[in-house]
Amino acid sequence: MSEPLLVLDNVAKNYGAIQALKGISFSIGRGEVVALLGDNGAGKSTLVKIIAGGLEPTSGRMLFEGKEFLAKSPAEAKAAGIETVYQDLSLCTNVDVVANFFMGREITRKVLGVPVLDERAMEAVVAKALANAGTRIPSLRTKVEHLSGGQRQAIELNRFVHWGGKLVLLDEPFAALGVEQTRRGLDMIRQVASQGIGVVIITHIMQQAFQVADRIVVIRQGVVAGDVARNKTSPDAVINMITGETLADAGPAN
Amino acid sequence: MNPRTRHALELVLDNLVWFMLVFVLVVFSLLIPNYFQLGIFANIIEASSVLGVMSIGLALVIIAGHMDLSVESVAALSAMAVGIMFCSSGIGLGLQLHPDWLMVPVSLAIALAVGAIIGVINGVLIVRLKMSAFIITLASYIWVRGLVLVVSGGRSAQDLAPAIRWFGIQRLAGLPLTAWIAVGCFVVFSLILAKTPFGRHLVMIGGNETATFRAGIRVNRNLIIAFVLAGAIAGLAGWLLAIRTSGATANLGVGLLFNAFAAVVIGGVSLKGGVGTLPGVYAGVLLLSAINTAINLMGLPANFTQVIHGLLVLAAVLLDAFKQTIRQRLA
Repeated sequence: MSEPLLVLDNVAKNYGAIQALKGISFSIGRGEVVALLGDNGAGKSTLVKIIAGGLEPTSGRMLFEGKEFLAKSPAEAKAAGIETVYQDLSLCTNVDVVANFFMGREITRKVLGVPVLDERAMEAVVAKALANAGTRIPSLRTKVEHLSGGQRQAIELNRFVHWGGKLVLLDEPFAALGVEQTRRGLDMIRQVASQGIGVVIITHIMQQAFQVADRIVVIRQGVVAGDVARNKTSPDAVINMITGETLADAGPAN
Repeated sequence: MNPRTRHALELVLDNLVWFMLVFVLVVFSLLIPNYFQLGIFANIIEASSVLGVMSIGLALVIIAGHMDLSVESVAALSAMAVGIMFCSSGIGLGLQLHPDWLMVPVSLAIALAVGAIIGVINGVLIVRLKMSAFIITLASYIWVRGLVLVVSGGRSAQDLAPAIRWFGIQRLAGLPLTAWIAVGCFVVFSLILAKTPFGRHLVMIGGNETATFRAGIRVNRNLIIAFVLAGAIAGLAGWLLAIRTSGATANLGVGLLFNAFAAVVIGGVSLKGGVGTLPGVYAGVLLLSAINTAINLMGLPANFTQVIHGLLVLAAVLLDAFKQTIRQRLA
C-alpha cells in the first residue's frame, strides 16, 4: 500500500494527572479494516473521540492523507471525510427517520432566497439507501422514539454507509443488533472498505474482529500492546495481548 | 388497529390544543350570553397579540431544550425605551422625526435591538460558560426589570407619538394592525421552525444535543441565534405593548412571563425540549385569551383568572402525560 490514510504518532491524552492515552502510534491504510481491541478503560473510545474531533489530544500528532491533521470539532472531522458511529447512539429520537439520516446535511431548495427543506428528495434518498442495505422500517416518517433498538442501530449504520467519506470510525456498532443484523452489518463494513474507505472498528467480541478486520490493534493501559495482521495471529494470542499476559509475539510495536 | 384510525388518532393527538380551543369556544358560545359575536372573537385575537408574540420567542428556546425567563422584562425594557423616546408626556422626551412615519421603523428597530442585545448576553453566557439557562435568564429577568426602574425612575411615559399609535388603531378586516403583526409572526416563525434547516436543527438540538454536535451541526451558534431571536421577539412584544398602552410604566407587563409559559405548555411544547410546534402555541395563546374573555363577560372578579390559568397549566401537563401513554400504545 502506498501512503497510509491516517497515521497516529504518539497521540496522548491526560485528564489532570490521569493518563488515559500514554502515546498511541499506528496507521490505517485506504480500504483497510482495523479492529481496535482492548479491555474496558484501555482508552479505545478516547482515541476514537480524538480522531473524530470530539476531544483534543494533550500531545502527539496525526497525519491524514499525508497532511498534519487535528479536528477541533466533529464538524471539521466530517468536512475532512471522517464519519463516526458512536457506542451510545447518536440519534434524535424526537424527529423522524429522514431527519436523522440527514442530520446536519439536509437537502434544501431555495424559496425566495431562503433555504427550505426538500422533504421529498430526502425521503427518496433514505428509501433508496435503506432498500440497498436490506433494512426494513415501516414508515420513514415515524419518529425514531417509536423504533426498536435494532432499527435505530440500522439507521446509524446505513447513515455511515451512505455518507462514507474517507475514514469511518465505529465504536461498538453492533451492541444492540441481533445475529442476522450483525452479519449484515459486518458485510456493510467489508463493502465500505472495498470502496477504498478506511475503517476502524472497536469491538469487544473477538469473533467479530476476526471476521471483518484486516489488522488487529490492541490497546492496553493507554499504549499499543499489539498491532498484527489478522492472518498472522489467533484469538488466544490477541486475548493475551489484551490482558497483558504476553507482550512477546504480539507483533511489531510500531 | 388499521392505519387509517391510527392516522386519525395521531392527527387528533398532534393538534389536541386546537380541538380544545374549538371545544371551549363552542361551550362558551352556548353557555355565556353575548359570547358568540364576531367582535368578541376579534377581541380574543386582539387581546392575545402581545402574549402571542412573546410566546413565540419563549417556545423557540424551550423547543431547543433551554429556557428564557427574561422575555417579560426584556419586553418591558423595549417598551420603556420606545416610551421614553417617543412619548410626549411623563418622562417621555417627545422626540420628533420628519417625516412622521420615520418614527415607526426607528422605534421598532430600537425595540428589536434592545431585545437582541439582551438575547446575545443570555445566549453567550449560557453557551460559552455552559451555565444553566434557568439561572442566567432568571438573573436577566431581575436585572433587566431593575434597568427599567432605573431608566424610568419609577415613573411612566404617556402619549405615544400618533404615527406609532396608528398601528393600534388602524384596522384591517376587523383586527388592529398590531394583531395582524402577531398573526404574521406566528406564520413566519412556524414556517421557519418546520421548513428550514435552522428550525429542524433547533428541534434536533432540543431532542439530543450530543447527537447534533457529533453530526457536525454548529450547536452553539444555533443556540445563540435562538436566544437572540427570543430577545428580539420579546422586544417586538414590548413595542406592541407600548402601542397598546400608549406609553410605558415601570411595572409594564408584570406577570406576562407566566402566561407565556402557560400558553407554551398548553400549546403542547414539552419543557424537556424537542417537542412542540408554533401553531400549537398560538392555539394555547388563543385558548387563554378565550377564557379571559369569558371571565370578563361573566363578570367574575379578575382574580379568578390566575386560578383558572394555573389549573389550565396543570391540566395541560396531565394531558401531555396522557398523550404520551396513548402514543406508546400506538407505536
